[in-house]
Amino acid sequence: MEERRLQQQINEQLFKKLQLAYFCVDKSMRVTCFSKNLRNYGYDSVLVGAEIEEHVDFMIGLDAQTELDLPMVESPSGTPVAVSLLPSSGELTVLISDASGHAEQRQLLQQKANENELLLEQQHKLMGQLSLASKELESKNQQLEEASRLQTSFISGVSHEFRTPLTSIIGYTNLVKEDLLLVSESEPEVKASAQQNSEHLRAVQRSSKHLLSLVENLLDHGKLDSNEIFIRPKSTDLAELFDDVALLLKPLSDSKNIEFKLDIELTNSFMAVMDDSRLRQCLINLVGNAIKFTDQGSVTLTARLADESLTISVADTGLGISPENLKKIRLPFWQAADTGKAGTGLGLTITERIIELMGGDLDISSELGKGTCVSFEVPAPMLLETPIGECSTVSGSKVLLAEDDADIADLVAMMMSEAGVDVTHVENGALAIEALRDQPFDLVLMDINMPVMTGYEALEKLQESKNKTPVVILSASSIEADRAKAESLGCFDYLVKPVDIGDIFQIMNRVVDQESL
Amino acid sequence: MKKKKICMVGDFSVGKTSLTQTFVNNVFSDKYLTTIGVKIDTAIIGDTKLIVWDVAGRDSLSPINSSYLVGAAGIVLVGDGTRENTIDDLSIIWDTVKNRIGEVPVVVALNKADLYDWSVSDQSYTFFSEQGWDVFSTSAKDGRNVEEMFQALVEKITN
Ligand SMILES: Nc1nc2c(ncn2[C@@H]2O[C@H](COP(=O)(O)OP(=O)(O)O)[C@@H](O)[C@H]2O)c(=O)[nH]1
Ligand SMILES: [Mg+2]
Repeated sequence: MEERRLQQQINEQLFKKLQLAYFCVDKSMRVTCFSKNLRNYGYDSVLVGAEIEEHVDFMIGLDAQTELDLPMVESPSGTPVAVSLLPSSGELTVLISDASGHAEQRQLLQQKANENELLLEQQHKLMGQLSLASKELESKNQQLEEASRLQTSFISGVSHEFRTPLTSIIGYTNLVKEDLLLVSESEPEVKASAQQNSEHLRAVQRSSKHLLSLVENLLDHGKLDSNEIFIRPKSTDLAELFDDVALLLKPLSDSKNIEFKLDIELTNSFMAVMDDSRLRQCLINLVGNAIKFTDQGSVTLTARLADESLTISVADTGLGISPENLKKIRLPFWQAADTGKAGTGLGLTITERIIELMGGDLDISSELGKGTCVSFEVPAPMLLETPIGECSTVSGSKVLLAEDDADIADLVAMMMSEAGVDVTHVENGALAIEALRDQPFDLVLMDINMPVMTGYEALEKLQESKNKTPVVILSASSIEADRAKAESLGCFDYLVKPVDIGDIFQIMNRVVDQESL
Repeated sequence: MKKKKICMVGDFSVGKTSLTQTFVNNVFSDKYLTTIGVKIDTAIIGDTKLIVWDVAGRDSLSPINSSYLVGAAGIVLVGDGTRENTIDDLSIIWDTVKNRIGEVPVVVALNKADLYDWSVSDQSYTFFSEQGWDVFSTSAKDGRNVEEMFQALVEKITN
């Protein structure tokens, strides 16, 4: 008995020192003893003999047999406490100690960790949403690209359909005109009627060319959208080019009774490496525009070639452009809607883009009522070697022409025969392959769209059979993908209809050069 | 009066403390304060005094300390309806509970139903109904279904 009291005294002193509070319950969960400092933690109603569940909430549901550690419980005083339940021989001792120091540390640490994790989760979620959104965008983009591709291929298809018959109209009127020139040396009444016919023919030609240029503008616009316009420089006779432009546009200025002035200074060398057809397209467009919007006075085309750079300006004494319209004028389709003049309204947009692609900038200055001046400067590298004489080497060479359009085939054959070329004509790729098997040719001119066997298929067959005859594609399509396809199938060169016979001769010279290496 | 201990369990920051405070004291705070250990509150439903143990959540640093669960007559599994992972975790948490105190009555609170980016999958709903649990879309913020959820648990416990 004495021993037990002593033990209890020691315990109590120890508990005090450690700031431990405690209570004990029997197996019916009634309080048997408790420490006074229990009320420091807010457990102030505990009485010996009372049911513990009535006074200490955390004891609810617990029994006297289970050993348990509750490391951190908020006590009624607000202080976090550590609770230990220690059963022994049917009784339960419950120890309570202050855990506020530990809790504070833990709180800080845990708060940081949890907040961090929440942020990470949020980030994760946002990234998920972002990638979803970007996937959606991507698929929309693809749809748009597909739509634009379809549009381009539709436009190119339609323009192809137009271009082929137009090419033959222009070619044949040329031939008929030449015939008429011969006729005009005969009797006077025939001569008079021939002259009139030749006037009519010129009108047909002008209209066809205009139609062709409209079709080409539409095609180019489709290509602008899909970044398909390319500049292909080659040796270009600038003097001839300016003559051409003047010849082409003179009738237009004459018909409006305005003066068309040329002011060209090309120094001694006028052969430059430029994309002549694109440059021609720009000049025709700019001068054509100037004439269209000028009702009296003059249009002046000025060209200066110096230091491998070509400066062009087109000045008119026409209507002029108001400052606010000057801003809109570069927009596609703009003029067609607003000025009531004929055209697609695409010309300037395309011209500007082509000039950019050639390395220049289109500058437009204008004053309402006084006139407009557009100008640009593009690089024009000089050609070092002198160009090869056109027909010198082609005469006597053998050319195979595969073309299903009889009109175009006859036209090409006629022009080549005049230069002394021996032309064999077939109607499709299969016949071309057959002809090549039977006899050697120096060059093949091949259309793409042909019945029985297309130009592509024929190229493939030739590659398979290791036939090395150079093939030049004459295609109605100026779509870059078509060119790329033909090139991947090993074509020697790719020309777009209407084909300039001079280009064919130049290529033939290149073939001869390569063979003699 | 009967006294019943119930435990709020679930991942951290799903709203265990908020649900308890909304239910017991009718207060809500937007500020997040991590619960350390356990907070014990009481509320009266009918003739039952409910002792609600708001247990620290399962989190990055520690699993739920299952000692706190001993003596519980019922469990509220709390998930955050806007954080799918906290709902997936409920089955793991339930295993912890089961291992320690056996199969006690359960209700599920899918909390934060006032928020718009609800992301509870059909699979989760299927899982809950397979377990035979009542599921409540609760909001500690606007109070929806909070009392109903506690009420349902008490009914399960007392029957
Ligand atoms: N919008 C909204 N926020 C809530 C809701 N319940 C809790 N929260 C917020 O969620 C965060 C975590 O809540 P808390 O109760 O501490 O979560 P616990 O860690 O599970 O105890 C706090 O910022 C609360 O304000 C709710 O129903 N709706
Ligand atoms: Mg909490």
